This record gives sequence, structure tokens and C-alpha cells, in this order.
Amino acid sequence: MPNSRRQFLGAGLSAAVAGSAISCGASNGASPWRFFTAEEGRTVDAICDRIIPADRDPGAKEARAVNYIDLQLTRPFKRYRKAYREGIAAVDAASRKKFGGRFVELPAGQQTEVLADIEKSSAAFFELILAHTRQGFYGDPRHGGNRNRVSWKMLGVPFPPIRGLERYDQPKVG
Amino acid sequence: MKKILLISALLIAALVLLAPGATFYYETGGGRRCTSCHEMQEVYDQWHSSPHRGVGCEKCHGWALTLEMSFHLNNAERAWTHLRGDLPERVRFPHRYVQAIQEPCQSCHRQEFASWQAGPHSATYTRIFLDKKHNTGNMPMDDCLRCHGAFFESGIGDLVSPVSRTGPWRLVPAELANMPSMPCLTCHQMHRQGPPLRKTDVAGRVPGPSQEITRPSLAFFDRRTQQYIPLQDLPLPVMLEGTRAVKMSPDRRQALCYQCHAPVANMQVASGDDRTGLGVHEGISCLACHAQHGEQTRASCASCHPKMSNCGLDVEKMDTTFKSTDSQHNIHWVKCAGCHTKGVPKKKERIS
Amino acid sequence: MALKHVNALIVGAGAGGGVVAKELATAGLSVVLLERGNWYSAADCRKDDLRNQRTTVLGNAFGPDEDRNPRVLVDDRGEGIVWPSESGYSNNAACVGGGTFSYGAQAWRYMEKDFRMRSTYGAVAGSTLEDWPIGYSDLEPYYEKAERELGVSGDVSNNIFQARRNQGLPMPPLSPNKEYQILLPAAKRLGWHPFDLPMLRNSVPYNGRAACMRCRWCVGFACEVNARTGTHNTVIPAALATGNCEVRTGCMTREILLDDHGQASGAAYFDPHDRLQRQTADLVIVCCGAVESARLLLNTRHRLFPNGLGNRYDWVGRNLHAHTYPAAAGLFDYDTYDDIGPGASIAICDFNHGNPGLAGGGMLANEFIRLPYQFMNQVPPWVPRWGQAHKDFVRTAYKRTVTIMGPVQEMPMFDARVQVDPKVKDYWGIPVARLSGKKNPHTLEIARFTAGKAEAWLQEAGAVRTWQRIPGPSLSGGQHQAGTCRMGNDPKTSVVDQDCRLHDVDNVYVIDASVHVTNGGFNPVLTIFANAYRASHRLLEAWKGSKVRS
Repeated sequence: MPNSRRQFLGAGLSAAVAGSAISCGASNGASPWRFFTAEEGRTVDAICDRIIPADRDPGAKEARAVNYIDLQLTRPFKRYRKAYREGIAAVDAASRKKFGGRFVELPAGQQTEVLADIEKSSAAFFELILAHTRQGFYGDPRHGGNRNRVSWKMLGVPFPPIRGLERYDQPKVG
Repeated sequence: MKKILLISALLIAALVLLAPGATFYYETGGGRRCTSCHEMQEVYDQWHSSPHRGVGCEKCHGWALTLEMSFHLNNAERAWTHLRGDLPERVRFPHRYVQAIQEPCQSCHRQEFASWQAGPHSATYTRIFLDKKHNTGNMPMDDCLRCHGAFFESGIGDLVSPVSRTGPWRLVPAELANMPSMPCLTCHQMHRQGPPLRKTDVAGRVPGPSQEITRPSLAFFDRRTQQYIPLQDLPLPVMLEGTRAVKMSPDRRQALCYQCHAPVANMQVASGDDRTGLGVHEGISCLACHAQHGEQTRASCASCHPKMSNCGLDVEKMDTTFKSTDSQHNIHWVKCAGCHTKGVPKKKERIS
Repeated sequence: MALKHVNALIVGAGAGGGVVAKELATAGLSVVLLERGNWYSAADCRKDDLRNQRTTVLGNAFGPDEDRNPRVLVDDRGEGIVWPSESGYSNNAACVGGGTFSYGAQAWRYMEKDFRMRSTYGAVAGSTLEDWPIGYSDLEPYYEKAERELGVSGDVSNNIFQARRNQGLPMPPLSPNKEYQILLPAAKRLGWHPFDLPMLRNSVPYNGRAACMRCRWCVGFACEVNARTGTHNTVIPAALATGNCEVRTGCMTREILLDDHGQASGAAYFDPHDRLQRQTADLVIVCCGAVESARLLLNTRHRLFPNGLGNRYDWVGRNLHAHTYPAAAGLFDYDTYDDIGPGASIAICDFNHGNPGLAGGGMLANEFIRLPYQFMNQVPPWVPRWGQAHKDFVRTAYKRTVTIMGPVQEMPMFDARVQVDPKVKDYWGIPVARLSGKKNPHTLEIARFTAGKAEAWLQEAGAVRTWQRIPGPSLSGGQHQAGTCRMGNDPKTSVVDQDCRLHDVDNVYVIDASVHVTNGGFNPVLTIFANAYRASHRLLEAWKGSKVRS
């Protein structure tokens, strides 16, 4: 946490109150994420990368689908928090069992094999992360994914579209 | 009793000073400390690599002792949403703050600001939304806000009342009356990645008016997604005259113009609000004639004609109904045949 | 403080309620229009492709409120609570305008046979298929009134199957998009009769509102230019302009109030501050949509109506149905996407009736523009759901796929029903709707047939590969929900009479798609409008200053 005791005193009473309250709200260990731990975030990122891989166009990793999922887990997806905690653990357990390493440590081919197993063994979690990855890749960037509108660029969908309206009464050239 | 009063007074003072105090604390870190809130990281990073990287946060956003209330209210509101656990993808400006930030823009960019203020793009909410002639013919609608009032948080019904063609109309938030409906931030993203602006081109020369620099901040604030779309991602249309694709200037800055001065779906030149050059002015960038900020057309005819005139005629003595969209001589679409009704004469050798 | 007594209390400001409010207020009756949702603007959705009324993965944009309005769904997996943004909830928007605020706005008249399904096809096994007590000719003048007063564009003159009409549509069709140009000659080659889709959408400025700007976000979203027509931008403002109508938003109706004789005296509702209010009225008109109208009647208990108002013979909530939507998609080897909305533009009615061995059919039309997230959910069965192959397909096919679909007229089922749940209550403590039942197997048979026709159309148009989507047998509801307060002459087998008045009580009406006996092979909104105009007209004829003639 950035605010040490010394900085506290330097900033005075009111700042101390506000400062501590504000930084507490953001605390999530050393994780850059809102809900995921740093480890979980890496695993989800890797899963997203397998679901929509990068090729000549960016994939779900570059689109930051993991950021979309993490953000939504503080909002309407709150109800899926448990499913994610357990599902991510299940993915790592399956990787260890099959290839003797954590999911993020495996080469892409083995990751795909693990996910294909998860699709059957933890179907509910797989359906969840599949849907959410697709949303984080193809959905609107305002929700934290589809960074720089990469999927829309891939599909050739101009944004924002140029679209006016015959709004004025003045005649135009023929 | 005195004690209670004193304590209450102290408490109230502490509360009043809470927001500025916190601001002061965070500012002393040179911006770095701001990023202890997750949602600040991105804007901080963007600022850090933006042309304004040399301009400290407090220069634009005010500092602890500023009397600009919207600044403190904004901070308090942001702290509150943060404490509620609502961690947005990135922080956004409330509308009142977008208006307040005009002033710091002006303090450095005086010339640009002055010319914007003198031009049509500084039109106030009153000018745009209470225009009797316009409203009688066209009912106010949400789509107006896409360009005029892009930062206004709510729908048209919360801006203009009544939403009808009969009026009489008034602005629901009366304080907007003299505020610009297209503030600087409509076309400029402050935290845009790019080098600090130096008014020289790559060769180190100071460019002339026709070689203006594409500012890295150029971006369109898309009201729908409430995000900036940087210039290089904005579409430049393929405009049509009938089925013919019109020759377009490669000047990307026009992409910004087309977002609002847009043709209808069939992409025909002159449809909707489009003013793409056709005829003798085909292929010329909007900005070749219209100065950015002021939109005044420089001394546009004189800057090219008669030196570059194709027929050697004194263009300033021609039909000057070029401002009317009804006119055959409308400056955007005028063709040789518009004046030479009996046939276009052959090109003369120019004597100069 | 008691609220001022009014002549008519209308519950629900959607398609039905909006029209009734305007007709009654214009005739001088004092009207209160209660709406549980809000009066939204385009700023409340902003073309959000993950949070709108069509794609609800991050919630509904236009109601009902996600956390306050559970329902109970009983299906093959057992019974469970469903929330508004989840499939199976059978949601329709809860806002001023109701479904018409964010719909696709197809403006169909039903055909003559659609009102005489039983006479035309006889009994269908397992179904309560029946004739309407009224016919097309009873509605024709009101169809025309709806088309003119609200505004419909299109050109149906090439639809040789349509019932007789006195006038053409008041606005020309939108200019054809690329899909239209591809599908038109193909349909003609097949000997079919394609025409321009009729829509409640301004193709030219009409009644003070602008023309459609052809954006890519239509069905599910708010219209930013007010070109799409709903009750929120037509009849409800007109009702307010009379000075006789008051709209109260954010008001959740709990029950209809009944006096000792079983006559309605008004309704009890929770205002936006959750305070229980009692609004008295001479008439109560229920316009909440098929699920919520049935729920309100069933939640209205009285000594004389122990099983709910109008439910003496256990017909309230029965026959819940909507439309089954089979589809076919075709992949072309050139770009078919032109970014010119709304997308849906061309239709045929060649397969609504007269299909061998089938009791009905449905209209077919090309689909609205699929946004990227919608499209990638619709990949053909041979494409894997994830990994490189899925991405490759989406990238190749996004701009090269045309989809044709259409609403199949469903065979109503007595056991497809709305009840009130004995245990689960909503935020206000009101028992929630409990949905159960299935589609009739014959409905799916018809769906397979029309999907085959849709696929043939795409093949004729030059699609290099085609595939079908046939819905499953689970209950239909959603935006086209209908049937739960059937209109009929016999009180023992229906809920309301020809005038949409409850058989049981003189001064309670149901005026929405609940009264539809069958739901046509078409989007139902124009029929809801027409019937609302007609029922209002009949009500006003019987109106005697403080009550209706019984």
C-alpha cells in the first residue's frame, strides 16, 4: 500500500481520514485486478487466449477479456464469483493432473487439451467463461473488454458509423 | 456546551476540508499517488505518455485550494463511488466538469481558444437548442446530443422542454444557457498518447498554414460508448455522386468533421449535413479552407485564386451566392458548368 | 390523502394501454395510466450491445428491474427462480411504451384465416386451437386507423395473400438494402411473392417525427431519432396533451380493488417510494402483457372470486403462447452486409397458410442486423464453439451471412400457463408469476417446414452453404406473449367477451395480447393496436358518464 504512516502525518487530519478510507476500498492484496488474485488473473487470461487466440488479428488476451470479466464480477456477475474461484482452481488441478504443471505454465497445445477436458468435466464453468470471453472480445469496449475495438476492426465494422439525417429544410444540389 | 460547539465546529471544518485535504495529499505524489485507486491507473498512464506529460495534474484539474466547486464535488463523488465498490473501467468527467475544464485549456492555448470562441463551434446550448426556426421544423431528439452536448449525461427530455415542435422551449438545466455545446473535449482527448506538441515538422521547419500538424489529441468523444475514438480509428467515408466514388483528400483530420457533418446512409455528397467538395473543389480537405477552431474560411478564395484558378477569371467577381446551399455556385459543389452555362472554355495559358 | 377519483384506471403503458389512454382521454374521460417502469430515453442504453432489450447478458436496458422482479419457471429441469435478463423469464420491457419502446416495429395485419384457425384446420391434438369471436372485417377499420395514426411504412401491394384492405400504407418503404436486392429476384424465381416489410417506422418525416437514419442498432435499442414508432412517442403524448390523462411511472400495481358486490372500484399500487396507494376509478383496464395481466387478475382475490378475478372457470393464465422462430442462414462468397439498418426489409407470406398437412405456418423475412456479439453466437453446427476455427469462421462469415426467419403461428396449449406462485414474492411482497408448460409438437413440425422454405430461399439466392436453427419445445413467451385471457363468447371457455370486458365483472377490461385467441403467423403489435382502438371504441359507445352499460 502506497500510503505509509509518514505520509499520513504530512498530509494532515482530513487527508488522513480520506486517504485511508479510499485506499482501503481498493485493496486486493498485490493484485492488479478488482476481484481476481494476480494468479487467477493470469490463469483467466490464458484461458481467454485459448478460447479466442491471436493470429493475424488480436485475440481475447489482447482485447483484455480478462479485464472485462474482472470488472463485471464487481457488478452483474457478482453471482458468478464462487463459480470462478472454484472453476479456476479446477482448471489448475486438471492441468497438474494431466501435465504436471499449472495451466499458465503449459504450452498452448496442452492448454487446449486441458480446456477440452474442462468443457466436459466442469461444463457449467466452461460455459460461463466461454460466454464471458466472447463478450469481452466481441462486445462493447465500454465494459472493459474489446480494447481499442480490436474485434470490430477485425470484422471491418466501422465505428462510430458515419450517419447523418436529412435534418434541415434547405434544398441541396441535385 | 462550549466544548460541544467547539468539537462540532472542528468536525464540520474537518468534513469541509476532507475533499481538499485528500486532494492535497494525493497531489503531493506528483500524480503517482492518484493511481493507488485502480480506476486512476489508466488515465495516469495515458497522461504520462501524452503531449501534456509536462503539465501537472493540478494544472488542469485544479489543486487542493481551488475555489472551483465542481472540482471538489467531482472528487468527493468519485471517492464515494469508489467506497461503494463501484470500480469503473475508467473515470469519466461529469458534464459540469467538462465545462469547468475549458478554462485551463484557455490559459495555455489562448489563440486557439479565441478563434474557437469566435467561430460557430462554440455555439451555446441556447443557440443550438432554443432556436425557434429549427425547433418548429425539427423536433428535438436524442441524436442531437451526439454532436451538440455529447457530455450531457441524460436524454433530450432532460435538456429541452417541451420535446415538441410547438414550444415555447426552455433549457431544463438553466445554468447551461451560455455554456458551449461543443466544448474543447468534444474533439480533443487530453490524455491521448503522443509526443509533446512542437510547432515544427519532421525537418524542423515551422510549417505554414497548409501544413498544419495533426495534433495527437484529436479524437472524437463518442457519446454512445462514452469513450474517445482516436483520429486514426475514425472512418473516412467513401462518398458518392450517384454511383461514382468521389475523389477524397487523404487528410485524416476530416474523419473528425464527418462524424457530425455526415451524409445520410446512401453516402451521397450533399445529403444530410455533408459538405464534401465536388466539382472544382473535389478532393480538397475540409481543413484546406476551414481553419480548425474558428472554422473561418481563412481568406479562402484569395489564398488559392486567381493564382491557382483554372480558367483565369477573377473569381471574386463571379456569382457570390456560394454560401447558399440552394445556389449552383455553392462553394462546396460548384462546377465549371455552373458559371459557363454555354460550355466550358478551353484552359488558357496563365500569364503571371 | 386520498387520490382523486378518475373515470378510468389503466394498468400498463405499453402497446394496448397507450392506445386506450389516448382514446379515452380524447373522449373526455379522466384517466390515470399506471406504469411500473420508467420513461426512458436513448441515453439510458446508448446502443450498448451487451445491455439492451435483445441481448441481456449485462441486464435489461428497459426493465423490469433485475433484482425486484423474479418469476418461477417450471420446466424439464424442475422449478426454479428466474430473473428478467435470463432466458425462460419470458420478458417484455417494463417502461412507458412497453415493448414498443425498443422493438423491431414490424407492422403486420393478421390474415382472415388467422381469426378462424379452428374452422380452417379443425382440432389439433393436444391444443386448445379455437376461432376468435371476431373476424378480420371487425378489425379492418382499426388496422387502418393504427396504420395512419401511428404511421406505417412499407409496400405490401405485392402481397397477394393479404386480406382486403381499403387503403395502402401511409409511407413508402425504406430504400432497399443489399440483402433485399439479393433476396428479391431469388424469391421471384421460386415463384413466390416478395414485398417490402411493413414497419412502424418513419421512412419519411411523419407526424412531426424524423425519418429512420438507417443505423445498425434497431431492435432492442431506443431510437435516437424518434423514427421508430411506439406508444411513448405517439398516443401517450397525445393523451397527455388532452389534459385528461396522468401517467404515473414507477408504480407497481398489487391488485384490483373490488367492492362488496364484486365490482371494481380501483386498484392498489406501490408508488415509487414503495408507499401503498389506492386509486379509485369507475373502470379498471388491464394492459400489462400476457404474463403480468394474468398475474394481476390471479392476485386479485375476493369472496366472490376466490381463485382470482375472471377466473371462475380456471381459464386465466391458460394458453400462454407467443411465436416459434425457426431460421435458416446462408453463407455467401461475397459481402452481403452493407451496414444499412434496420436490416429486415423483405418478406413473403407464401407459407402462412395452405401448407399441406400443416395447421398454419408463418411469414418469412430477412433478419435485423446482427451485431458482432449476436452473430458469433449463431455459427453453424459444424463450426467448433471456441478456438481458432471459431474465430476464423466469424471473421470470414460476419459480412457474408444472410439470415431468414419468421414467426410460426403456435398451437395454444391449455397447460402452458401463468399461475401465481404460492411461495415466491417480488420486492413488494406480491406473489410472482409461475410459468409452466410446453409447445405443441405440431408447432415444431410447422417450424421445420418453414425453416426448409427459408433455406431454399437462401440456396436460390446463391448461398454457398446453408444451415437451419429450429427452436426446442420449451414454453414460448417473451415479447410476443399472448393468449392468457382469451376472448370468447362462452364464459366457460374464455375470460373476456368480444369487447375485451371480463365475463365476471362489468367494469374490468383486459386490452392487450392476452385476449388473442391465436397469435397469427406475424409479429402481433399492429393487431394489439387495432384491437385496442376497437375495444376503446366499443367501451366509449357503452359509456354512460360514470359507468358502462352492462
